[in-house]
Amino acid sequence: MCLSQHFWQFLVPGITLGCLYALIAIGYTLVYGVLQLINFAHSEIFMTGGFAGLFMVQALTNVGVVPSGAQSWLIMFAGISCGALFGGIVAFLLERVAYRPLRRRNAPRLIYLITAIGASLFLFNLAGKLFGRDKVNIPAIYTNGVVFTVFGAQVRVQQLIIVCTAVFMMLMLDLLVNRTKLGSGIRAVAQDSQTASLMGVNINRVISQTFVIGGVLGGAAGFLFGTYLNVHYQMGFLPGIKAFAAAVLGGIGNIRGAMIGGLLLGIVESLSQSCMSSQWIDVVAFVVLILVLMFRPTGILGQRLGRAA
Amino acid sequence: MSHVGGLPIRVRRSRKVDPRLVRLFGWLVLGALLRLMTVTAEGTSTDHLLVIDAAFKSTALIGWLVAGLVVWVLTELWHARKVGALVTARTTGVRQQWHAVAGRALSRRAALLAVVVAAIVLPQFLSEFYQRVLVDQVAVFVLLAVGLNVVVGWAGLLDLGYVAFFAIGAYTCAYFTGALPVTPLFTLNPFVVLPVAVVVCLVAGLLLGAPTLRLRGDYLAIVTLGFHEIVQLFLVNKNNWTGGNQGVSRPVPHFTINLLGIHYKWTLASLPYWFLFIGMLAIVVILFSRLEHSKVGRSWTAVREDEVAAAANGVPTVKYKLMAFAIGASTSGLAGVLYASRLGYINPASFPVVLSISVLSYVIFGGMGSIIGVIAGSALLTFLPAVFQEQNIVRQEDIPMWIGAILVTMMLFRPQGLIPSRRRKRELRLASEGVADADAMSEAPEGRTG
Amino acid sequence: MHRKQILVAAAPVLIGTLALSSCSSSKSSSGASSGGGGKPTYTIGFQGPLTGPNAQLGINIDNAVKLAVQQANASGQLPFTLKVAEADDQGDPAKGPTAAQQLIGDSSVVGVVGPTFSGATKAAEPLFTQAGLASVSASATNSSLTDPGNGFKTFFRIVPPDSAQGTSAADYMAKVLKAKSVYLIDDKSDYGVGLCGNIKSQLGADGVAVTSDSVAAGTNDYSAVATKVANSGTQAAYYCGYYADAAPLAKALKNTSYAGKTLSDDGTNDPKFISLAGPASESWQFTCPCLSAAAATDATTQKFVSDYTASAKQPPGTYSPEGYDVANTLIAVMKPLGTNVTRAAVVNGLRSVDYKGLTKEIKFQPNGEVTEKGIYVYAVQNGKITELGTVDTLISKG
Repeated sequence: MCLSQHFWQFLVPGITLGCLYALIAIGYTLVYGVLQLINFAHSEIFMTGGFAGLFMVQALTNVGVVPSGAQSWLIMFAGISCGALFGGIVAFLLERVAYRPLRRRNAPRLIYLITAIGASLFLFNLAGKLFGRDKVNIPAIYTNGVVFTVFGAQVRVQQLIIVCTAVFMMLMLDLLVNRTKLGSGIRAVAQDSQTASLMGVNINRVISQTFVIGGVLGGAAGFLFGTYLNVHYQMGFLPGIKAFAAAVLGGIGNIRGAMIGGLLLGIVESLSQSCMSSQWIDVVAFVVLILVLMFRPTGILGQRLGRAA
Repeated sequence: MSHVGGLPIRVRRSRKVDPRLVRLFGWLVLGALLRLMTVTAEGTSTDHLLVIDAAFKSTALIGWLVAGLVVWVLTELWHARKVGALVTARTTGVRQQWHAVAGRALSRRAALLAVVVAAIVLPQFLSEFYQRVLVDQVAVFVLLAVGLNVVVGWAGLLDLGYVAFFAIGAYTCAYFTGALPVTPLFTLNPFVVLPVAVVVCLVAGLLLGAPTLRLRGDYLAIVTLGFHEIVQLFLVNKNNWTGGNQGVSRPVPHFTINLLGIHYKWTLASLPYWFLFIGMLAIVVILFSRLEHSKVGRSWTAVREDEVAAAANGVPTVKYKLMAFAIGASTSGLAGVLYASRLGYINPASFPVVLSISVLSYVIFGGMGSIIGVIAGSALLTFLPAVFQEQNIVRQEDIPMWIGAILVTMMLFRPQGLIPSRRRKRELRLASEGVADADAMSEAPEGRTG
Repeated sequence: MHRKQILVAAAPVLIGTLALSSCSSSKSSSGASSGGGGKPTYTIGFQGPLTGPNAQLGINIDNAVKLAVQQANASGQLPFTLKVAEADDQGDPAKGPTAAQQLIGDSSVVGVVGPTFSGATKAAEPLFTQAGLASVSASATNSSLTDPGNGFKTFFRIVPPDSAQGTSAADYMAKVLKAKSVYLIDDKSDYGVGLCGNIKSQLGADGVAVTSDSVAAGTNDYSAVATKVANSGTQAAYYCGYYADAAPLAKALKNTSYAGKTLSDDGTNDPKFISLAGPASESWQFTCPCLSAAAATDATTQKFVSDYTASAKQPPGTYSPEGYDVANTLIAVMKPLGTNVTRAAVVNGLRSVDYKGLTKEIKFQPNGEVTEKGIYVYAVQNGKITELGTVDTLISKG
């Protein structure tokens, strides 16, 4: 069977990619949970994080920080933080400029979606104009040696960094949503915004914060993705759709569902390439999406953010 | 007090910033952003700050900031002096006369006649380049927009993969005229392929719609997007059938008529294709107008405004949504045949996802739900960029950026579009007051899924 | 809400008037101009990607054409003045016809260098044929372009077709690298699929086992493909595509334990590949029907390198020497025609031209192919592209 040969060798890159999808999917699921809106522009937030991290790394290299030893950690940390920061900023601005006026006007859902699409179109073309349409490589920050082998599959530094960062961020998010006041606010608004406001929750603030959290995760994912592949003004489009498919797979509005959905999608994509030609790889995500929507639209873990815990 | 879902939000009493200053800041930022967008340079991968430098380190920026300041002053004055109300009061007489004249059916028909005559006569005076733009882009996109208007404007369904049917129509034409690597069952003239493509796309629309139209509106959007991607991947990967990225192996022939003593062969010249397009558009528009004012159109309106109430009143909502989908898809097929035989060469790269989104934005910009609005909007948004590009005002790569900006601006300030249908405008106004709904997309009350 | 309505309503009116006025003024822009001093002005057109993901290949040729025209004008020996007109098709077949039309519509254009990419050439050639405008490509290598069945009567190219590159690449892998099995990956593009098809058939003739796969250009993940290559145990892997996608593949391959040789084609043979892939680009080899000007030792080519670097502010890249040669061939054909250069005369002149250029002696066969063919091999060594030699010399060396 094609799957049994080299299973682990396909599983490892699958998990790595899956973690990235999971980070992006959380952004989609959070916004959908509180606003019932598919934030098409989230893929551009992902892209912003990639570029922001790239510039930080370039700036540090120009200043003279040499990528070796402890300084590699510094550069990576700086890159991830910068990516996360700018991802959050762009998400915040997006909500303020594009979505809040619509909420004030109680616009129908179609209008929200179209605004999201327009914002997405605008942002990635603006990025292309500002930063050029070429793919850009993030210079090597560390030597990507093999850390250990599991069942014949090599696990390298890069994959470990991506998976560990992603897992750390997801754990933090889980704590945030379930143990803090902000988290209860988010869950309350997702469950029933009218009652939440009656209970004293400041809906505008909660929604802003939700966008920012999603943006932070997406931006960090963008930088990590950039180190994995490269940074490009259109880098958000495909991963964005796939991450949305992952969010739906796990149960849209459900944070743990998004994490699981992302991991699952990454693994399925990688493993399926061992069985068939790589040219069909993008079809896998879309077919998964359509099948899930048709047969189990609530996803694996079920839907509501309010019932995420 | 602002409303969210009908309930008041607590207004914070502390840290109150004068809203006028906030508005000034907004206008200045907008001015700076517009300056950034209109810089003709483009960044490179090595020099990331190139455009930002060029935009902000020149005196042109001051011009834009001043313009923003001036607009702010004017708008504040307008608001403060209630100039809007004054103007309305002073011009009541003129406006009444205008409405009296414009409202008459005769003047509407005269205007329509004038537009049709202009469309037939004017293109002859344009240069070859603009004639080409008219046929290659304006014609095709107007047809597409009219079709998408049925789906988005009348049935209220968000279809993000509309161009997939366009691709299917074009490749059907290529198949039946023998341009693909696969030999067809029988070779046909593109004219004869027109009804065949319509039927094929109709079937494709039904196939896509049947399982997915029960889904919630935003899921439908993503599923249609996924469908477009799948169609594209199929076109790219199945080299043996579709020629893959190489495209058609032999050129798709032009239209020819050989019946009833009329022999005419379309060639590379643009004008004959333009007249063919006008004919096709006229037929489609007449058919759709009749549809709009029929039982089908009223059912669409009912579904759009309040699906639950419509279903409760016995309207078979899924059937009518499916019908809209199929009709939209078949119009797309028409456009596909026109496109394929006009260009002679198609490949999967001719039908990217961005195109779907562009067509949607033309429909929204023009005013979804009104055929005239949609035609005007799409004609404007396809012709103008070509003009700007030729005059070197805007680079071709920046055009999608402007389209995105236009979309967002339109949604924020004039969601009913350029020339809205009166019904649509009323729906949007009612929706904002929380009374009814303006699309077939809202979630039912708690408890019901999909 | 009144002010917003009026503002928004005014915009279309403004735009409409702008459109109408520019509509009428643009009609007068076409038409040949006669330059100052009584000399007629003719234009050499260029079609290729000047923007987009693979723009560098187009820019290389464009700069070379501009250099050739500038030098010809400065020499004072021409009975006319030359200009260059650029048409950007982004390497996209869908934009090819429009770009071609831009050049055809300008009646002072008497010859075109390009189109650069094979796909765009296929889409645009019918228009060039119909207009009788010569299009001489410096880089479009798809074998089917010179197929007489296409009817491309005004198409020429000075680079050998993919069939030649494919055959040579296969022979190189079989006889010089001594590979017993090869993994071929194409990028589903017109160019990639054609080239890999040619390589596969020649490898079969050479008795080498072949595994093929395809990954569409623009994919965002190459790790699974790289794993497949690593698990295949082949001695060589060849990527048929362009540098924008070869680089992520190179990076992914570096992360695996693959020990075979890694190769690609002329679409990847560009310094941009090295900057995109970083250290992962090391020891990649390329086959190319192009001459690398930087590696040449004769005085004429070195003068070209310094002239090009001075005028274009960057060193010459892949196909720059070829672009220079095409432009000079066109000029050589136009010169004897004096002040009466027409498109038909240029086409006829090309059929019988014999011009000694930087890269080769340029003579065309009746179908538009150049008679002299040579495939070079390059390698990335220490972050720079160095020439290893032509395939024929490398094979004969053993």
